[in-house]
Amino acid sequence: MSSAHHVEGADEAESRREAHRGPDRASRVDLRIEARPGQLSVVRAVAADLAMHQDFDLDAISDLRLAVDEACAELIGLATGDSGLHCRFEVRPQEIRMAAEVLSADSRAPRQDSFGWRVLAALVDHVRATTAPAAADPGGHLVRIELVKRRTREVDG
Amino acid sequence: MRPPTGRDTNSRSPDYDHLAPLFHEMAALTDTDPRRAVLREKLVTEHLPVAQHIARRFSNRGEPHEDLVQVATLGLINAVDRFQPDRGVDFLSFAVPTIMGEVRRHFRDTGWAVRVPRRLKELHLSINAAIGELSQRLGRAPTPSELAGHLGISQEEVFEGLEATNAYRSASLDDMLVADDDSVSLGDAIGEVDTELAQVEYRETLKPLLARLPERERTVLVLRFFGNMTQTQIAERIGVSQMHVSRLLARTLAQLREELRDATG
Repeated sequence: MSSAHHVEGADEAESRREAHRGPDRASRVDLRIEARPGQLSVVRAVAADLAMHQDFDLDAISDLRLAVDEACAELIGLATGDSGLHCRFEVRPQEIRMAAEVLSADSRAPRQDSFGWRVLAALVDHVRATTAPAAADPGGHLVRIELVKRRTREVDG
Repeated sequence: MRPPTGRDTNSRSPDYDHLAPLFHEMAALTDTDPRRAVLREKLVTEHLPVAQHIARRFSNRGEPHEDLVQVATLGLINAVDRFQPDRGVDFLSFAVPTIMGEVRRHFRDTGWAVRVPRRLKELHLSINAAIGELSQRLGRAPTPSELAGHLGISQEEVFEGLEATNAYRSASLDDMLVADDDSVSLGDAIGEVDTELAQVEYRETLKPLLARLPERERTVLVLRFFGNMTQTQIAERIGVSQMHVSRLLARTLAQLREELRDATG
């Protein structure tokens, strides 16, 4: 079944991964997408791919994927008309951070007593939402969700 | 929109032209007229080659051919039932997209969403099995490198196999791999929810939505978000794979999100 395995491929993969990991530096991925639900699959795929290549365990990979989906869906719901969603991933050896931001017409931050927020909080190690006034042109408010998923879930206590 | 001219040579064949008057005949009969059933059956039977032809066009995508024929036939029956001969469109122009739609829906609901090579499906299956074994041994979900080591394949191949899961949108394969697990008792986790929900906004909206979920979906959701269990623990508890739990959660969360938005504006 796995007879198609060939050694060069594996070696290449190994060296690429070493280079990717680096010593202790964070690598970044910046994504700008239209703030439409149909674009969520792109962000999900990137999140899962980053976690996979960091050798997170499968629960963590799936949790990050679900969390990024939930956070970005929440923001897309708040985004004004044709503004985009900016999503930045920061990959470190022990954790992946994501910060996503949209331009919103009002200064309302995502509610933290919502079901969606509860889901987010359960999926990642840390999550917070902030808002800030946007530049005068085009005006409005920048609504941002930041989350952190660590390699292994810390034992509470 | 394609104009309904019937000029499309691919979907029009003189073999079926003689059947056209039967649609008019059937349309003139009341629903309860026994002659209607006879005509309906004749129209379905005579058009069966169309369904078979469409099923063949999808037959290299990994679904059993007989299943596809069955689904295409279902599409054909729907087309016969819904066709309105007085609209000026010939039956095949109406039926072909209807049948194709049915087959596509079948792929979307129960099969691989895009064409996935057999090698990847097998990879997916062996990875799925390895996840179960390693989770048992490690007491947690394995990492891609652990899976690679266990299966004696490269990590790139593991990535490929895990990515293939994303193409496979439904849980039907997992459903086939586990025994009918409706008998597993899922009930005891649900009681916790009520107290937990006390702090959640729109709980009065959320409760009926949760109640309407299929029992397995609800249980997975509750155990993950109110019971603080990992996907791997949930998988073991209810007897499905971790990948299955992952997919159930993704699907259920997206659905609830939509329903909550609709319900709360």
